[in-house]
Amino acid sequence: MGETLASSKIKPASSTDSLKTPSKLQKVFLGILLLSLLLFPLLQFVVGGLNYWLHMLLYTFMYIAMASSWNIIGGYAGYTSLGHNVFFAVGGYFTGVLLVYYDVSPFITAPIAGLVSLALGLIVGLISLRTRGPAFIISTIALLMLVKIAFDNWDYIGGTNGITMPPILSLSLNLVKFPFYYYMLLIAIGAVYTSYRIRHSKFGLGLRAISQDEIKAEVAGIPTNYYKILAFGISGLFVGMVGGIWGYYLTYLRPNIFLIILVAAQLVLMSVLGGKGTVAGPVVGAILFIAIDEFFVANLGYTELNIVATGLLLALVLIFFPQGIVGSLRERGKLPAFLDWD
Amino acid sequence: MALLEIDNIKVGYGGGPNILNGLSMTIERGKTYCIIGPNGAGKSTLLRAICGLLHPREGSVTFKGEVLNKLRTDEILNRGISFVPQDRSLFPDMTVKENLRMGGYILKNRKQLEDRIKEVLVKFPILNERSSQPAKTLSGGQQQMLAIGRALVLRPEVIMLDEPSLGLAPKIAQSIFDNIAQLKDAGMTVILVEQNARKGLECADWGCVLDLGVNRFEGAADTILHDPRIQELYLGKQYQNRQEKAA
Amino acid sequence: MNQFVQVLLFGVTLGGVYALMASGLTLVFGVMRIVNIAHAAFMIIAAYIAFFAFDLYHIDPIISVLITMPVMFFMGMAVYWLFFSRIKGAKRAGELTVLLTFALALIVEGLLGYFFTNVYRSAGPSYATEALYFGRFFLSAGQFYATLLSIALIVLLWAFLKYSRIGYAIRASMQNLSAAQVVGVNVERISMIAFGIGMALAGASGSMMSFLFTFYPAKHWEWIAILLALIVLGGMGSLGGALAGAFILAISSNLIGYYFGPTWSPITFFLALFVVLLVRPQGLFGKKLEA
Repeated sequence: MGETLASSKIKPASSTDSLKTPSKLQKVFLGILLLSLLLFPLLQFVVGGLNYWLHMLLYTFMYIAMASSWNIIGGYAGYTSLGHNVFFAVGGYFTGVLLVYYDVSPFITAPIAGLVSLALGLIVGLISLRTRGPAFIISTIALLMLVKIAFDNWDYIGGTNGITMPPILSLSLNLVKFPFYYYMLLIAIGAVYTSYRIRHSKFGLGLRAISQDEIKAEVAGIPTNYYKILAFGISGLFVGMVGGIWGYYLTYLRPNIFLIILVAAQLVLMSVLGGKGTVAGPVVGAILFIAIDEFFVANLGYTELNIVATGLLLALVLIFFPQGIVGSLRERGKLPAFLDWD
Repeated sequence: MALLEIDNIKVGYGGGPNILNGLSMTIERGKTYCIIGPNGAGKSTLLRAICGLLHPREGSVTFKGEVLNKLRTDEILNRGISFVPQDRSLFPDMTVKENLRMGGYILKNRKQLEDRIKEVLVKFPILNERSSQPAKTLSGGQQQMLAIGRALVLRPEVIMLDEPSLGLAPKIAQSIFDNIAQLKDAGMTVILVEQNARKGLECADWGCVLDLGVNRFEGAADTILHDPRIQELYLGKQYQNRQEKAA
Repeated sequence: MNQFVQVLLFGVTLGGVYALMASGLTLVFGVMRIVNIAHAAFMIIAAYIAFFAFDLYHIDPIISVLITMPVMFFMGMAVYWLFFSRIKGAKRAGELTVLLTFALALIVEGLLGYFFTNVYRSAGPSYATEALYFGRFFLSAGQFYATLLSIALIVLLWAFLKYSRIGYAIRASMQNLSAAQVVGVNVERISMIAFGIGMALAGASGSMMSFLFTFYPAKHWEWIAILLALIVLGGMGSLGGALAGAFILAISSNLIGYYFGPTWSPITFFLALFVVLLVRPQGLFGKKLEA
């Protein structure tokens, strides 16, 4: 065979890879799911009044994209990032500034925002990934604080007041959520697909080796530094993109909405809850988290108890199910096929 | 009655497989035992199981008629068994004297502790000279001496040493073996795990060969040392013969 | 020149307070390898205790240290027993504990917000605003007393660690946990006690925080970010490093804030962190970290 991990280029797995390829049933399931999601908004013309659901769905797509992205560095590589919302903010402000000052639609600039976040991830990774474990986590928190302070004081982008963006006036109330819905769906598909391909590649295998024992991985010839930094960069890509779209959707951006640690915590919770290090885990976790959050908000309102609930949930999962839902099910051999994409 | 009786113990780490698979051994008072065997055979595991750092999953460890299985390390230390681990396990930033003090951690009586520390420093003049130096500044041989001295603070009846000559130059290793001989003369029961099988068996009364988690072979140290099978398997006799033929 | 010394003086007093806060955090990390992200949240619990003690019962915040330290000590031991002793043997325990303390911080913040609302608080003993003059320079009396108390507590901590039996056990556990087990230290019990002491130090810090700064439930994020940056700078697990980091960062952030404007002051911490990580990932006095 002659080919070592170090000498192979990063490419998706062929059938020589020992990880499973999806079964026919799984492919059918996926097909039906995607079709339904694509056609769902059309019900707006039949039934009407679906704006709440469109909102919830696109919100879910966004978090699916973010959680799956976080998982690349936090789950696959084992480096927990507690400042991932920085990429979201950078993406959001990037498209926001281009819209407000230069009149370019975020729908065009969002992918570039993603690339900007990618670049940021690579640069920051170069520094932060010199540390391991707790020190790395702390450096991500420091990054979050730095960016927050910087954005709070940068007048060009509005400081603490942020940017206000014009809504899309050309679309009727019925249709106004459509572009956002499809765009977020697209990004979510992109993120999950990327996560899937990484998992089934030599790159992904290398990342897993790094998460188990970095020193041994290095000794085995895996280019750990290169892999880690690349993973961190990729993990910022889709987060930047959704950030770019979300600001436009909300029509305003302010540092203290999303440059706060609570949001970072929620991202971590989603992946851990669903099962970090798996493909389906972050997706499941995102959906579940949003459902639970909606439940709490409906019953308790926007009180501080929400924060308690997030913390408590995270604590319980960590103590009793650290593998998350997908991981725990897999351990007991009870993982249903539609969740098994690893 | 035997001093220490190990009866068919099965020991493993965490959730993992058994390292020791039904090992039995009898330790008698005042004798020196040398345990040899290949890597992974369970030699260190055995010592850790005796002193309470690990608990046997099955079987029993009995000391002077009392079963030790469920006791904590400090309780076992109190009963007279001391352990010198493989990597010496010193406290690097603490001085020699402070390391010795930690050796006597379970002693509640201040005066007693001070007296014992003095005792050890008298026994090891080199340590006395460096009593205020941090342990990390000592040479390998001195560190090993400190590790042994620390175990002696409790005046144990049984002292267990895990590969004391590891990483030491031959001359220094020899001085360690001389120390062990002195322990013997003082009437202590010594259990020695050694990779340097020859040296270890030379200073022992009785030898045990551990392999795959069981006590495969035991007998008078002298006999084992000169047994051709053991020589072949563990002492490198075959290699030596091949060398001689090739020459 | 006068202004420089004045700013320097403020920096030193701030450094003392930071040092006390950071020492609790470092102690816990050194013994148990737990990065307690909830440390500042517990400080705020103590700040609330001190605030209400003053507001309702006129107990001087500095005296309240006698209340907050024992309360937080026992709370700490309870938290350790409830949360951390259970995940001891788990795979990748180090990472798990960071996330767990993170969750803990959220729980504390939420509960504090629920019971006490998000109103900005600050205890107002008379000395908080009184000025004490030292030649041409001045300090608020509050700052002065707080610094004295911090230094006193740090010295007490040092003496405790150096001379008491438990102090020995704690230091031994910080230097070599497995060796400590070999000599018979009950590491579970010592971990619990060390955590309690760490929390007690947070308690004292909280009492002082109540009159030195304004606080509210979410404020702990600001504090923990600073403290974490501080101990990474000094070198995690090194008490000396924590002290050094505290003073260096307090003084330099004050100076930078004075000469370059107030917004640059907090940035100092985090920029300094990144610079240090670039050049010396283990911090000034730390040893190389394990993954």
